[in-house]
Amino acid sequence: MVFCTSQAQMKAEDVQTFTLKNGMKFLVVEDFSIPNANMYLFYKVGSRNEYQGITGLSHFFEHMMFNGAKKYGPKLFDQTMEYNGGANNAYTTENVTVYTNWFPASATEVIFDLESDRISSLSIDPEMVESERGVVLSERSTGLENSPWRLLSQSVQSSAFQEHPYHWPVIGFEDDMKNWTQQDLERYFKTYYAPNNCVVVISGALKFEEVKRLAEKYMQPISAQPAPPKVHIIEPKQTGERRITVQKEVSNPYMMIAYHTPEAKNEDYYALNILSSILSNGKSSRLYASLVDNQQLATMVFTDYGDSFDPGLFNIYAVANTNITSELIENAIYIEIDKIKEEGITEKELQKVKNQKLMEFYNQIEKIDGKSNNIGTYEVFFGDYKKMFDAPMNYNKVTIKDIQNVAKKYFSKSNRTVGVLKTNVEE
Amino acid sequence: MKKLNKRIGLLCLLIVAPFLVFAQSYKLPEFEKLKLKNGLTIYLMEQHDVPIISVSVILPAGAIYDNEKAGLASLTSTALKLGTKNFSKKIIDEELDFLGASLNAYASKEYAGLSSKFATKDIAKVFGILKEILLNPTFDSEEFEKEKSRLLVTLEQRKESPRAVIGTYFDKLLYGSHVYGNSVSGTNETVSKLTVNDLKSFYNLNYTPNESAISIVGDFSSKEMKKLITELFSGWKNNTTKKENKASNTIAKPTENNVLIVSKEDAKETTFYIGGSGISRNNPDFVAIQVVNTLFGGRFTSMLNDELRVNSGLTYGASSRFSTLKNGGSFYISTFTALETTTEAIDKALEVLNTLHKNGLSENSLTSAKNYVKGQFPPDYETTDQLSNLLTEMFWYNFDDSFINNFENNVNSLDIKKANDIIASYFPTKNLQFVLVGKASEIKEIAEKYGKITIVEIKE
Repeated sequence: MVFCTSQAQMKAEDVQTFTLKNGMKFLVVEDFSIPNANMYLFYKVGSRNEYQGITGLSHFFEHMMFNGAKKYGPKLFDQTMEYNGGANNAYTTENVTVYTNWFPASATEVIFDLESDRISSLSIDPEMVESERGVVLSERSTGLENSPWRLLSQSVQSSAFQEHPYHWPVIGFEDDMKNWTQQDLERYFKTYYAPNNCVVVISGALKFEEVKRLAEKYMQPISAQPAPPKVHIIEPKQTGERRITVQKEVSNPYMMIAYHTPEAKNEDYYALNILSSILSNGKSSRLYASLVDNQQLATMVFTDYGDSFDPGLFNIYAVANTNITSELIENAIYIEIDKIKEEGITEKELQKVKNQKLMEFYNQIEKIDGKSNNIGTYEVFFGDYKKMFDAPMNYNKVTIKDIQNVAKKYFSKSNRTVGVLKTNVEE
Repeated sequence: MKKLNKRIGLLCLLIVAPFLVFAQSYKLPEFEKLKLKNGLTIYLMEQHDVPIISVSVILPAGAIYDNEKAGLASLTSTALKLGTKNFSKKIIDEELDFLGASLNAYASKEYAGLSSKFATKDIAKVFGILKEILLNPTFDSEEFEKEKSRLLVTLEQRKESPRAVIGTYFDKLLYGSHVYGNSVSGTNETVSKLTVNDLKSFYNLNYTPNESAISIVGDFSSKEMKKLITELFSGWKNNTTKKENKASNTIAKPTENNVLIVSKEDAKETTFYIGGSGISRNNPDFVAIQVVNTLFGGRFTSMLNDELRVNSGLTYGASSRFSTLKNGGSFYISTFTALETTTEAIDKALEVLNTLHKNGLSENSLTSAKNYVKGQFPPDYETTDQLSNLLTEMFWYNFDDSFINNFENNVNSLDIKKANDIIASYFPTKNLQFVLVGKASEIKEIAEKYGKITIVEIKE
């Protein structure tokens, strides 16, 4: 794979960095292609930092960050940002909470003012807590209402993890959601919303020196906090297959198979990531070609192996075709997995995935959003944004043997949880 | 201006960079437009930042031409990739996957389209496939049956998600027997009857070059691209059969309030649309209407979201939009709420609509909306695929680059008087159409006060 061509392209040197005295790290990419910029703030807090009784609090907190601080009271964060031409969003996962702002570059100082206000002096209004609680309950409900995958995947995850906090869904358990208190929120803010627990990425029509000046003016005065407590629980090794069933009115069964796999920093990460593409990326992929196209057992099949701080899951998803049982699909999946374990993959398949990875990279760096999101993800999950630029090399290093080895190592019966969602669970 | 200063050529860098830092307005990069002898329109725009190319093809082959065979346009477009004169389906899938190239064929209500994105070095291979798919599909019957059976399952599954089906019900309710009421995906009943011969005749009649366009944006030389495109597509023949343009028939406007309840007995929420007639894409007030709708339901602090989400916690989100087509369009408010709060949420949505008419807009809120739409505009036209889509849309809806280049002026020129006129003219308050997807047995009675009720089963 030829990665660096003669074209103008993004390189590791295009990312400039500095760290404020309070520990807040900034990554900056100057890009004047459009008169816009963005700011991504990655806080290292997610549902893995919760415990039973406060599940879902990280995500709820994400919502509360928009509900008023000292200078900009309730509603003013959004009103001020939109008045200045900016838009925002945020998301919470098991591992991180990410705040995203997109704005005309001329509004950058306003964005710094807004962000520094809520990081330094968020004000948690009890009335806002109550109306926002309704909002997240609706968010939970609409997720379950519109896709069977939500219910199935949280049930599978909950069985695969019995002790580690990946056991509960990011949105939280419904009864916990109704019971978060003001004190929970205040403590959470103090513990996790510290400048030293945050990485900020900015891309767009801005000069590095200007970003630095604004960061020093607005963010530097905010005090650092003691490092948050470590998540100490390590999920014990799974020692036997787990199987679950959940009921929902659906036309055909939905199924999932989840294997415990390592975290993003692990040496097997790149091989597992490639294996996921070999199995399900595109119509020529192993599972699609076999289950959907040739045998017509399933109408769709996909896999995911995400980035995580602690060991996570490699998930395989499939939907049954008419009159096909989930058992038939399950066996067909194992046959494809066993083929890889026994015979490995071909040189051509490996090259295919490497080509796909290159196109993915191009797609990401085509816009300033993709740049910030990726740089931040590599910095936070892999420990260094430079790994983003090493990724092509790291993918290139993976051999056919490596793929076969990770398939053998992780895709064992005792390491999996199988979940089925269907209408009739009594038969 | 987009990305111009990032080109590696030193000349550009020296001349353009210092100036651009202060430039706020966004202009469409230069492009060429030409026509082949068979009438096919070509757009070419060079963008050299990343070594990739995006292609967008637009064809007069959407669901408005389905007649009673709902789903035909959509299935025909999907079936283009099921094999061609020179390539089997397997070869097409394998080749595209190997290159990491994307190539999708789809149909929307009015048109069919192809979109593709790939690395510059693969230009010959991907265009070879693209040409075959477009000009020489064989509609292999074995592959067709497999595709159709998958589609039938997918159609069943869509009924598991209120959000996935509500738009189709709303369009049917609003447009009635006009072809804009046609369902793009079709139903199990109509799709199960479709045959390979239906697809072939639909293809022969509607996939013609003289009303189609292809736009190519990315890292290539226009001179070489012209040569390649001329070679590949000059042999594409037109069909001489005259086809009727039913979309230009008058759209009957609703004359009373109607409530369609789509019954889903296991629903814990009510998902609803409330709306009426909208505007066509070429409406001269298009930009002004978008600005006003931004305030009403087009952003987080909009009146709708503020009232239904922020103030009352009734929903995760409430919004409104104008959905535009060539000869008409719709306007609708869209949200969802827990079953128990259905009335409260519908009443609040209607109340916000009345407030918009009663109080109009303030100077301050109008300024905010104008800043917002201007500020959020450039990222919509940042990538090669966004730009190639824009060019084929310009072709289809017959607007030109002044939409981009005068966008800021058009937004700036909107004053408070005009904005309030826009509310009065374009935001319907009478003869509203309601679609409620939810537990009919419980919401039927409360829905009676909104209009004449019809109930259908989601599983029908």
